[in-house]
Amino acid sequence: MGLSGIFALALGLTALPPFLRLWQGPSLWDRLAGATGVNTRISLILAAHALLAGQELLLDVALAYAALGFLGVVLVARFGEGGAG
Amino acid sequence: MSGLFLCGLGLVLLSLGGVGLWRFPDLYSRLQGAGVGETGGTALFLAGLLTYTGHVDGVTILLLALLLFTGPIATHSIAKGAFVRRERVEP
Repeated sequence: MGLSGIFALALGLTALPPFLRLWQGPSLWDRLAGATGVNTRISLILAAHALLAGQELLLDVALAYAALGFLGVVLVARFGEGGAG
Repeated sequence: MSGLFLCGLGLVLLSLGGVGLWRFPDLYSRLQGAGVGETGGTALFLAGLLTYTGHVDGVTILLLALLLFTGPIATHSIAKGAFVRRERVEP
């Protein structure tokens, strides 16, 4: 297990509390905050594996994953806000 | 070597942000802890990764800028939605 595996394991352990908040947040907004945390950490895992294991294609995947995760979170937040927003 | 130090610092900040998101008592405290820890931890981890591998490219700079700018925007959007929907906290 190289350095990218160690980083992936550490980031996965770091992603555990946001995942629990996503799992049993009392409200929609807690779940959205947890989803943001999990998205960020998954994108960081992809970027670390791309840079440390020499697979450059995963860098584009990390970029698209971060952009789409941000878009989804903002979309659900604006939808839950309702009104004229 | 300093790249690995920056990565470790970013991991510490990310885990602190996760603990804040899990343990804080109400919604806005959770958003504050998660926002601060996530933005700083992400920027530090990616900067350490770039200085360790020396792979400073357009794509990596774009990824760093994207993760650095979209985290506070997402946090602000969640907080604004919760505030508009009358999610109040007793002082």
